[in-house]
Amino acid sequence: MKVAVLLSAGRHPVSGRGALPRLEAQAIRLAAALGSARGLHAGPDADVVAEALGRGLSQIDHVALAAGADPVPALAAVLRAAAPDVVLAGRRGQGGDDTGLVPYALARALGATVIPDVVAARPGSEPGVIEVEQALPKGAARRVVARLPVVLTVHPAAPEPSAFAFGQARRGRIERLDVAAPAEPAAAAIAVAEKSYRPRPKMMRGAPAGGSAADRLKAATGGGEAAQANVMVSPEPREAARAILAYLRQIGVLAPPPGAG
Amino acid sequence: MTRARRDPRAERAAAALPGAARARFDLFARCAGGRPRRDPRMEAAAQRVDGAARLRLDRAQTGRPAAAPAPSRAEPAAPPAPKTIVMAAPAFLVAVVPDLAAGRLSPHDRQLFGAARTLAGADGGVIALAGAEGAELGPAGADRTARLAGPEGYAPDARAAAIASTMAALNLRHVIFPETPDGGDLARRVAVLAGEPLFADVEMVSAAALMRPAQGRRVEQRAAPARLITLAADAVAPYAGAPREARDEPLEPSAAPASAILAAERIPADPARTPLALADFVVSAGNGVTDLETFRAVAAALGGTPGASRVLCDAGLMPREAQVGASGTVLSATCYLALGIAGAPQHLQGVAGCEHVVAVNTDLHAAMIERAGLAIVQDAQVVMPALIEELARERGAFA
Ligand SMILES: Cc1cc2nc3c(=O)[nH]c(=O)nc-3n(C[C@H](O)[C@H](O)[C@H](O)COP(=O)(O)OP(=O)(O)OC[C@H]3O[C@@H](n4cnc5c(N)ncnc54)[C@H](O)[C@@H]3O)c2cc1C
Repeated sequence: MKVAVLLSAGRHPVSGRGALPRLEAQAIRLAAALGSARGLHAGPDADVVAEALGRGLSQIDHVALAAGADPVPALAAVLRAAAPDVVLAGRRGQGGDDTGLVPYALARALGATVIPDVVAARPGSEPGVIEVEQALPKGAARRVVARLPVVLTVHPAAPEPSAFAFGQARRGRIERLDVAAPAEPAAAAIAVAEKSYRPRPKMMRGAPAGGSAADRLKAATGGGEAAQANVMVSPEPREAARAILAYLRQIGVLAPPPGAG
Repeated sequence: MTRARRDPRAERAAAALPGAARARFDLFARCAGGRPRRDPRMEAAAQRVDGAARLRLDRAQTGRPAAAPAPSRAEPAAPPAPKTIVMAAPAFLVAVVPDLAAGRLSPHDRQLFGAARTLAGADGGVIALAGAEGAELGPAGADRTARLAGPEGYAPDARAAAIASTMAALNLRHVIFPETPDGGDLARRVAVLAGEPLFADVEMVSAAALMRPAQGRRVEQRAAPARLITLAADAVAPYAGAPREARDEPLEPSAAPASAILAAERIPADPARTPLALADFVVSAGNGVTDLETFRAVAAALGGTPGASRVLCDAGLMPREAQVGASGTVLSATCYLALGIAGAPQHLQGVAGCEHVVAVNTDLHAAMIERAGLAIVQDAQVVMPALIEELARERGAFA
């Protein structure tokens, strides 16, 4: 299976220095389980993604682009020529426009299916098919079988990135591709005004406007709605157990008793 | 020492009002140049919290009268039932696509309606595009609802196509998605399908402009409201007005695109291995639990993820990853079962997001009992075996 891993010029979330985003390092690890993988980066400079070589890629293709240019047409042109079966990407950039649209736009350009939030992937039981596991909220998962080609975005719960190996990083090659990106009609951009970010207080759920400090503490610790609580004082243990089970079933966290529907 | 000498006579002459038959003076004119005079009485009146039975002042409100009087929670008399707002012919529509996980509106879903109301203004209508029936859409702030028809199971491309065709058919001015795994995925699919730009992860909404962070939160981008928007969690207050009618808007079914997804199967979470922060149901032990073997058996029998208070983790009786609270894990669970936990503020902060709490404690006055929706004042050591017995009996009755 031919695999391409999209690498972005990310920034470290804390220090703000250039770094390989963690999700992309995890993507390299997922790619290694699927087949031969190549990295792909579009941007002015490939040094920022050189770290990916030490994380397990042996080769990175670099498409030179002006800073701030839309990478999608160039990436689409390269991927159309290389025709990988699987394209792996992070969920969202960190350090650029951060909209998370690139995998979707590429999938549309390539006619591939997007499967987001992947934590594991393996070749399917028949050729031309891939089996992936998707992370869902609350610890659940979904196993999806899809026809190739696919674009997968990686979930933070995927296996840890493999350790950085210096020798591998030295041996790896970055190859520069010259692509005359076809003038595809770029998606209409939104005119934005930028200024430096100012953190704002998050809205406090349920805190009354103009309430006292006691009200706000109550909202922060989640009190308030339990004024009409159902209190059982010194019940028989069995009675208490039945009440708890009935309550858990009423709110739907416990399966109904066997035999009851 | 060298303060300028006052000349009361000259000051008085300067304050004299001309034209009067009798000598008249405006003595307030004297302080015109300096700091404005404070009026403590008026300030206190502006700080008054309306509706409270006894006098209450909101000191955070300085000088200006309160914009909106705070709703009183102590008021015993219930307000008259609010009338449903009916919007006969909205000038335009703003759509909301709630996640409706498990068929219910999450707090994040409700915040979408708040943002949509801001963007719709006085003459726009809010339409909820839902995959399933939802009775609570009207109170949440929907003027219209539309059912998105689609194939059963996991078919995000079909949903995106349905939304994109609705967008064109109803000429929606804005479509707002939650920035969640599902909602964010759907928004991006719709964006590439419709060829519209997406303004993602919006943190501030007003009728004139939206704000989103970019470049790893180093800059913020401000722009006029785009057509496709995803909204970050807890950035906008939910809609708080009177319920709206949520009238059904018929939609023509659109043809679902061919899907490359051959099979999709949902695997439920394994409670024993789910990280605490993700778990849906947490069974937690505190200092009042001495029999930890039974506790672990209870957690396994109920299918809950085991948690603990700090006392047990400090004592090494439970792993540190199990600690719930301010210095442990903040939960996002639906239900929290607290066995022998007093409910210290640091512990309750971890439980704040839980919708339902069940407490078992010997102390009727424990804070956990106050927080709980179902409180059992009883020894945890006798309730735990009773729970196991009851579950076994149910299984036995069936077998
Ligand atoms: C900076 C700081 C951070 C902290 N962070 C956290 C945190 O993140 N998480 C956390 O949990 N704590 C935290 N704490 C500690 C917290 O203040 C409390 O000390 C702790 O939560 C108390 O745990 P507990 O309720 O299990 O124990 P206790 O306070 O000892 O309460 C035990 C409860 O069990 C009841 N009980 C006793 N016997 C029985 C029985 N047989 N059956 C039923 N009930 C019984 C008692 O009535 C009592 O209510 C923090 C403290 C500090 C100072």
